Amino acid sequence: MSRLTRRNFLQVSAGLAAFSGIAGTPKEAGASPGKEALATLIDCTRCDGCVDHDVPLCVAACRERALNRIPDPVDPIPPLFPRGMIEDWSKRKDVYDRLTPYTQLFIQRADVPVDGGIRTVYLPRRCMHCDNPPCATLCPFTANHKYPDGSVVIDPDLCFGGAKCRSVCPWNIPQRQSGIGIYLEIMPTLAGNGVMFKCDLCHDRLLNQQLPLCVEACPRDAMVIGLRRDIMKEAERRAAETGGYLYGLTENGGTGTIYLSPVPFEEINKVVEKGPGRPHFDKVSRRPARASLMETSVLMSPVIGMGAGLTAAMLAVRNRVKKKGEGENDD
Amino acid sequence: MTDRVIEGKNLVRRHSVLELVEHWAIALSGLLLILTGLLELPIGKRYYVTEIPWFSWSGDFYTTLTIHYIAAVVFVAASFFHVFYHGLLGEGGLLPRRGDLKESIKVIKTFFGKGDEPPFEKYLPEQRLAYMGMAFIIAMLIISGLVKTYKNLLDPQLSYAVTSAATWIHNIFFVLFIAAFIAHIAALVIKPNRPMVRGIFTGTIRLDYARGRHSLWMAALERTKTPSTDDGRGGEREEVAGTGARKDGHVLPGEKPDPGNETGSERTNDKKEEL
Repeated sequence: MSRLTRRNFLQVSAGLAAFSGIAGTPKEAGASPGKEALATLIDCTRCDGCVDHDVPLCVAACRERALNRIPDPVDPIPPLFPRGMIEDWSKRKDVYDRLTPYTQLFIQRADVPVDGGIRTVYLPRRCMHCDNPPCATLCPFTANHKYPDGSVVIDPDLCFGGAKCRSVCPWNIPQRQSGIGIYLEIMPTLAGNGVMFKCDLCHDRLLNQQLPLCVEACPRDAMVIGLRRDIMKEAERRAAETGGYLYGLTENGGTGTIYLSPVPFEEINKVVEKGPGRPHFDKVSRRPARASLMETSVLMSPVIGMGAGLTAAMLAVRNRVKKKGEGENDD
Repeated sequence: MTDRVIEGKNLVRRHSVLELVEHWAIALSGLLLILTGLLELPIGKRYYVTEIPWFSWSGDFYTTLTIHYIAAVVFVAASFFHVFYHGLLGEGGLLPRRGDLKESIKVIKTFFGKGDEPPFEKYLPEQRLAYMGMAFIIAMLIISGLVKTYKNLLDPQLSYAVTSAATWIHNIFFVLFIAAFIAHIAALVIKPNRPMVRGIFTGTIRLDYARGRHSLWMAALERTKTPSTDDGRGGEREEVAGTGARKDGHVLPGEKPDPGNETGSERTNDKKEEL
């Protein structure tokens, strides 16, 4: 029912058809699920925030999955030593206006002043699935990993909930639920603080050739997922066609989530509510920077050491030979 | 190769300046790696480290990572230098030998008053074993660390198996590295070993201690009659082997007159025990 044959999956050879409501077969991606990088286009010219619904449909679908996957925390949640804030969202599962462990996707509303009036833009926010995700590369326990299909996935069985991923994420996306996870089995008071949660692009569903739930749930086809190169092309095409603006192409060195908006993101960023669980739309440069001098030096250091060792050894041998020669001459 | 007696000062040179530089480059960068490695865990803020004066950076993972990288450049380069330099020169005095394990147990027993110490070479058998252990830990840390750096630099999508293996090898050997560091320091606290401590700061240890405890090394050193010019004071001197007297009978300026049968002479050792 929710196989990738739905129109929401951008067809490789007939991208336009995919957006015009004609169902087709995404042969290339469908043939090797999980192996090829995917990306998502979030078309905010189409999203209406599901204002007629109590909860936007994409948010509701995502939340349903989270509710089924996140266990109830222990009661009471162990206190932290010497300090640290317990983050318990289990009693506030119906918070929809920000990211939480249970709301891994929410709709951000931007009332942007345009030509003397106000243009309201709805922006579904979730993990950007960066090309170079610092949350994954810097996780001390490999509890967070970027897979070949482009999804960045936290393993709840390995995560200690230290929230380093949230600190290093340019948008501070991951959210913590204390009182669950592996840390309870080790030193719950001294180390760890739960499990971090964020959108994983429905990685398990993608492997089964199913669409992410949010993409599937959207009644206006505001979200499309497809092969990365096709999504990038489509985003550029739509932006050119509508005079729209794109976000996510270059942010943090490139991401797997491209937003298309009818108004500039600088203007959106000025008016959206920002703060914990409510990400910004700033320009973001990649961190750690690609091919930074420091990292390159680390990779070169064995060669530097070898070269210096070889040179010093040769000099030492030469000195010895020289000394020996001088000694013989003295004799 | 620089091992030699400096008798006028009751000293024997145990480490060359180059070896001291190698040791301290690895030791100090290693300590910085331990510190910044610990701070890669989210503990800076939680454990008030960020509130220690001058340590506000400790909660910023990008800063700690940059410092980790800087220290890693020194650590890795110095380690590779060490292996290549001494390896190419065939200097293997710190490499374990057959029977070292048995000997080590005997020696450790003597620390608790059981039995007498056997005569030692330049290095104690447990020093040779500890060296190999530390070298193995460092090798694993370097290999896994380079893989992690490569992942961060060039390939964030490196396979989960490789990434996970590198991460856990790095974490496990990080703990072992801290344990080995503590053991290394603990060994220096043991009373009979204390006279060796000055060696890693000055390059020299007391001659009477060396003759008493490292008699095999000293015997080899003193068997050799070799002229030396590397005494830091210039001038070539030569000792009449076994007599402790120099041919010219001259005492150089700044050198104490010979106490007992020791003269201001130096001997070098052809034995390759620098490593």
